[in-house]
Amino acid sequence: MISFYDVTLRDGNHALRHSLAPDFVREYCQIAEQSGVWAVEVGHGNGIGASSFLVGKAKSDDNSLLAAARESLSKVKLAIHAIPGFATIKRDLIPAIKSGVDIFRIGTHVTEVTTAQKHVEFLSAQNQTVHGVLMMSHAIDLKGLVSQAKLMASYGASAVVLMDSAGNYVPKDVVARVAALKQEIGVEVGFHAHNNLGVGVSNAISAIENDATIIDGSSMGLGAGAGNAPLESIIVNYRRMTGSAPPLDKFLEMSHLVEMKYPEFLPRTTSSSIQSGDAGVFSGFAPQVRQLAAEFGVSQEDLWQELGKRRLVAGQESMIREIAQDLMNL
Amino acid sequence: MSNDKIKVAVIGTGNIGTDLCERLLKDTKFEVLAFVGRRSTSSGLMRMNGRVPYLFDYGIDSLEPLWAQLDGVFDATSASAHAEHWAIVQKHKRWIIDLTPSRIGKQLVPVLIDKSSLMKISTENVANYSMITCGGQSSAALIYAITKHAKLVEEVEISSSIASLSAGPATRNNIDEYIDSTENMATLLTGCSAVKSILVLNPAEPPVMMRTTVHVRAANFDLVQILKETRNLVAKVKSYVPGYDLVVEPHVAGSGQISATVKVLGSGYYLPEYSGNLDIINAAAVETATQHVQANRLKDARIKS
Repeated sequence: MISFYDVTLRDGNHALRHSLAPDFVREYCQIAEQSGVWAVEVGHGNGIGASSFLVGKAKSDDNSLLAAARESLSKVKLAIHAIPGFATIKRDLIPAIKSGVDIFRIGTHVTEVTTAQKHVEFLSAQNQTVHGVLMMSHAIDLKGLVSQAKLMASYGASAVVLMDSAGNYVPKDVVARVAALKQEIGVEVGFHAHNNLGVGVSNAISAIENDATIIDGSSMGLGAGAGNAPLESIIVNYRRMTGSAPPLDKFLEMSHLVEMKYPEFLPRTTSSSIQSGDAGVFSGFAPQVRQLAAEFGVSQEDLWQELGKRRLVAGQESMIREIAQDLMNL
Repeated sequence: MSNDKIKVAVIGTGNIGTDLCERLLKDTKFEVLAFVGRRSTSSGLMRMNGRVPYLFDYGIDSLEPLWAQLDGVFDATSASAHAEHWAIVQKHKRWIIDLTPSRIGKQLVPVLIDKSSLMKISTENVANYSMITCGGQSSAALIYAITKHAKLVEEVEISSSIASLSAGPATRNNIDEYIDSTENMATLLTGCSAVKSILVLNPAEPPVMMRTTVHVRAANFDLVQILKETRNLVAKVKSYVPGYDLVVEPHVAGSGQISATVKVLGSGYYLPEYSGNLDIINAAAVETATQHVQANRLKDARIKS
């Protein structure tokens, strides 16, 4: 059994520049409730508690988005993403428990899992379902990846999700990494694709073929950078592979809703996304790169390459200005 | 005593305590009488063999025979141990500089002494100063400069990125407390309750230098005055943290928003240069102790005469 995990209302918030409103969440969740999707993740693009000048201010706060989703979901689980360093237990996780969130995903940059220990342990102790997320999971060798995933599991995470935050993987990378985790850690493995190189769906399918059981996707691929693997495409592929899958109609209805409501925000693979994906830079930097490249009169391509060289991680958005400034002064 | 050097003990022989000890040994205003740990085999203690007169391995109790000679102590242990240390220091009527995140002491950023009404040197010799966090020490000058020349401050945000290698187990384990403590300082300084602090760890090799960005939203600003004030305060911080530099000057970052960024390069006493986050805390601790002792000695001299 595959648990299809819908990130439209969280990762999609990157594409919408964090403008998601409760009305849309409600409308979307009413369809999702009947779709056969396992969970719907809701909140700011960088997770709950991340609304900030640094990564983008949200139009609607996380609590109002979560409340709108909660009203419309009962069979389908309500999920959040939270990053220690942005979100805290007291300010963000405890209110999320009170909002009736079912699944807590705690994410860190792939090398920094120890910063999540308290958060994962706290949620476990509260008998909440907690998953560990390894963001920018390409940015470490296989051995390191396995040891960080084991740490997450040791804190009490019942699943470990690999995020390809930069859209850097090609299918053979997914095969190697998912297979290694399946073999080495005793918990469920999930995979979250980004489509920078145009292989988001293929990567999701490779993850399924290697026994990942939680598969992320978003309607119309609405997500950071070049977007995620479109959920509706994953479902069709899965049905053709296995002969069984949730019916497609509701997934198409969700993607239609996104397409009608946000035609100008739909992500796609572009020359810039291919460069950022290949350089392994976080997809969420795209709006800042566009804006600052124009402001300082430098090329987006040069800026992406420089960000890749300096190995920036999510949350270092303010350094993009400094780097653009340096490039201009070269 | 034969000289008027500031006589101190450093408690805690981990990375921070060892760096602090090295720094104090090179500072002619100070005399380190004792370095205090809990294990005789600690590499910090062994490093100071022959360089610090008293090396102790059974905690603060080992200072018992030295109190009469000591002016004060630096506490580089842990938040949980600090409360006990403070009680003992009070009993002996001495001062303590708290480098742990205990939040017991009075938050102090040396550059703002007597600028902000809440950042003052105690007029009593018995005092406890908290060095807050690296984000707090590195952002305070920017927050003060921007909000001083702004009307109706609506929001203040502090985001810091540090090298993963510079973040030890204590930082990692106390990331929520770090956020709390930094936000608390920003509220104290500005009176604004909509404050946010963010901490990001970057594992890049070679390690990245610490950067702190401050965003302020307000009804209006005097950017010319902000620039002047910021440059002036950054230069003052630089007098005790040589690696502190303004890398992005205050600029309009959106409607009603001003933002600026500083970089902090460590001095490399014991910790490597990329540990600017630890360096700025230690530099602030030494500066605070210096100012406290100078102010109180001056006061005592006045009383005598």
